[in-house]
Amino acid sequence: MKLLINGKQVTVDVPDDTPLLWVIREEVGLTGTKFGCGKALCGACTVHVDGKPKRSCVTAVSSVQDKPITTIEGLEATDGTLHPVQAAWVEENVPQCGFCQSGQIMAAVALLAKKGKTVTDEDIDAAMSGNICRCGTYPRIRKAIKRAANAMEEPK
Amino acid sequence: MKHYDAQFHVRGESEYIDDVPPPAGMLHAAVYGSPVAHGNIKGFDASKALAMEGVHAVITAKDIPGENQIGPIIQDEGLLAETTVHFIGHPVAVVVAETAEIARAATHEITMDIEALEVIVDPREAFKRGHFIDAPREFNIGDIGTAWADCDIIVEGECDIAGQEHLYLETQRARVVPGEGHKIQVYSSTQSPYAVQRMTAKVLGLPAHLIEVDVKRLGGGFGGKEDQATPWAVMAALAAHLLDKPVELVLHRLDDIKMTGKRHPYAADFKLGLKDDGTIVAFESKLYQNSGATADLSTAVLERSLFHGCNSYFIPNARIFAAPCRTNLHPHTAFRGFGGPQGMFVIEAAIAKAAETIGVPREEIQFKNLLREGDSFPYGQKTEGCHSRRCWEEAVDEFDYAGMRAAVDEFNANNSRDKKGLAIMPICFGIAFTKTFMNQASALIHCYPDGSVVLSTGGVEMGQGVNSKLINICAKEFGISDSRVRVETTNTTRIANMSPSAASATTDLNGNATILAVKQIWERLRDLAATKLGITDVGDITLENEVVYFRGEATEITWPELTQLAYFSRVGLSAHAFYATPNIWFDAAKESGRPFAYHVYGAAIVQANVDCLRGVYDIESVRIVHDLGRPINEVVDIGQVEGGLAQGLGWMTLEELAYGDDGRILSHALSTYKAPDVFYMPDDLQVRWVTDDSPTGPYGSKAVGEPPLMYGIGAFFAIRDAMRAFRDDDYEFSAPLTPEKVLLGIQGHTLSDYRKGEIAAE
Repeated sequence: MKLLINGKQVTVDVPDDTPLLWVIREEVGLTGTKFGCGKALCGACTVHVDGKPKRSCVTAVSSVQDKPITTIEGLEATDGTLHPVQAAWVEENVPQCGFCQSGQIMAAVALLAKKGKTVTDEDIDAAMSGNICRCGTYPRIRKAIKRAANAMEEPK
Repeated sequence: MKHYDAQFHVRGESEYIDDVPPPAGMLHAAVYGSPVAHGNIKGFDASKALAMEGVHAVITAKDIPGENQIGPIIQDEGLLAETTVHFIGHPVAVVVAETAEIARAATHEITMDIEALEVIVDPREAFKRGHFIDAPREFNIGDIGTAWADCDIIVEGECDIAGQEHLYLETQRARVVPGEGHKIQVYSSTQSPYAVQRMTAKVLGLPAHLIEVDVKRLGGGFGGKEDQATPWAVMAALAAHLLDKPVELVLHRLDDIKMTGKRHPYAADFKLGLKDDGTIVAFESKLYQNSGATADLSTAVLERSLFHGCNSYFIPNARIFAAPCRTNLHPHTAFRGFGGPQGMFVIEAAIAKAAETIGVPREEIQFKNLLREGDSFPYGQKTEGCHSRRCWEEAVDEFDYAGMRAAVDEFNANNSRDKKGLAIMPICFGIAFTKTFMNQASALIHCYPDGSVVLSTGGVEMGQGVNSKLINICAKEFGISDSRVRVETTNTTRIANMSPSAASATTDLNGNATILAVKQIWERLRDLAATKLGITDVGDITLENEVVYFRGEATEITWPELTQLAYFSRVGLSAHAFYATPNIWFDAAKESGRPFAYHVYGAAIVQANVDCLRGVYDIESVRIVHDLGRPINEVVDIGQVEGGLAQGLGWMTLEELAYGDDGRILSHALSTYKAPDVFYMPDDLQVRWVTDDSPTGPYGSKAVGEPPLMYGIGAFFAIRDAMRAFRDDDYEFSAPLTPEKVLLGIQGHTLSDYRKGEIAAE
């Protein structure tokens, strides 16, 4: 079947019900997306399908054929410039162990795509509560989302 | 200052073990664990599993070429069960197959015939029967026997303190590649590479020099990979060795929660005696540790509960008794705080009970009895550089505790549904491995002629930022830019016999070793610079901002020129150095000594709001004054305080491990185990430092990894304070204080009554 991942067409030969996460990691070789719980409860496997956050560990690959899929590797510009959310994450030194961070960033990017500069603490609570960070980087996640929101609105 | 791995993490570029493309022909392993908590193995049948397509082998204890023993302290833990199983998930066999899915599916096809034996999950029950991991221990100060007579008030009570799942987002895993001459290359997500090396060698019957363990980073450890990363790595190594193929073993989350131990649950009895004015005269506590089925690190964890049984208080007459009780649960293990938090909870509960009995604020008794300079702990050591009172006083002043209390009282007077509560949580945590011999570390530095530097130590990066701090230390000690320094993986062929990255001591130990290694190289380079400059007074030569200075004046020699010159002058650009923490010792026969290099102090003010209609609560603010020493990397340190606090809050409030009487863990997935999320963290979190020099930390820094977790205990007492504003009952000291317990409590019930059906009967 054909998939569109990070703007590139890829063809994979897997059973229809294979979780998208397995396809991304094992077939396509993009390992930035992580397996955390296998039940859509921790958020580590978050990717975008059609711009919306999806838990790839419980998403059957056949359900996302021909829909644009973005992983953490697809966020930065082709010249390597970090996405404003990634840049804010670096500025705020958010990650500790890093394992959940791809999922956190993908969830935050989707949130800001929807809310932009108007993002509130309540929006962050609602959108990010399903992304567990055991290192407890939450205060910095909140700060980084706000920093990114401001950066996205700056005139070019 | 920054966290150097952040740039890789945000791109998804950071490599964890199974992110690296697999070597050709790699097989995958899964573990078959016992379905029952206690029993004799009468039969084992893997024929169906072996018949499955893609299954290569089912390995059991009889296939082990060396010794079937991986107990880190006490030799009571086989890698695979032979005749008896002791907990649900107790590893019995390793299935090796072409994919992880097949291997895992094949474990479900294995059957065992087991003669069931009695299951004990309660530590008090195990204690009654004398089922111990090792002999109980006792710390004493003063004369507890006669002290009770001097007390005006004596209170007694019980505590029930639950465990905690580590929930490292990266589950346990290892990849092992066999090489020529039985060489075994192990990539393990372990805090203790040397433990993996040692146990692999033992189980395979090979010398340690054939086992190379390499660790790049961990997706979280928190103590859960201190010694419990070992079995999975050894199993993968066993399979790789027997089949002569690369083998990877990644525990599924459900298996990880089922098979691995947690923070130790404790039951406890306490008795506290005071004068009328609140001065503590005598304290006795009995700690019943639920050690699980095998020793693992339980005896060491127990020791820390003893060390921290009086927390931050001077108590002239005390007896702390602790027993490691053997039960039929997964072997409990290290978890940030390592038994200290459980010990502290008990004295905090005793003080709460005393304050409530006397009718004075809890804070009054706490403050009155805080440690002062020169006070003795119940293990002989005296406080040196004691900041107990200073942290408390600064917190109370800077965060206006009196104003907070007045506002809470006013709120409570005007609101009947919601009540607010406050608590102050002082901490005192000893820094050093309590086993003195473990306080050793080494560092290996290579400088290249282009001026770049690579550093290896025994420190394992698990998110705590040790690599960032080591880069800072190495660069600062040389006088060069951080960007010149790279930290290599932690590898047993570069650094031998390293202690685990644990006990908050990783930066202290490996940072000091790094400084010693830099000094060796610098002394050679300094002499070389002196020759080049025609100077005899080498003591006046320094390197600052990558330029060689003589008596404060810049010379024309830069750092890259110096390294280049060294190479062509045949001057060594590498050094290995060894560090051992000075002036620490402990006499186990007398239970007395100076086990800690120093103590870390602090105080946190926690405010909670309880919805008394629903039992739910919000931790509104946590305001901390923390004894940090001179920070090396403040960004990293604040992260440790925030993260430690998050885990401490979770342990005391939301995170409830549930077990059936048959020893089965019921909270075996994230659907049934609730850890803090972004919403749960207090909106108002403030941290201020006390920054006096530490006696032994690099550049006067202090260890920071574990102590902040213990501020979380304040949440328990803040919620209790709010509950008592609603109804001033003598609530159970049962942690975690879940919303369920809060609601039942303020309705006059207990969770145990509820579970027994006694409430329904009313």
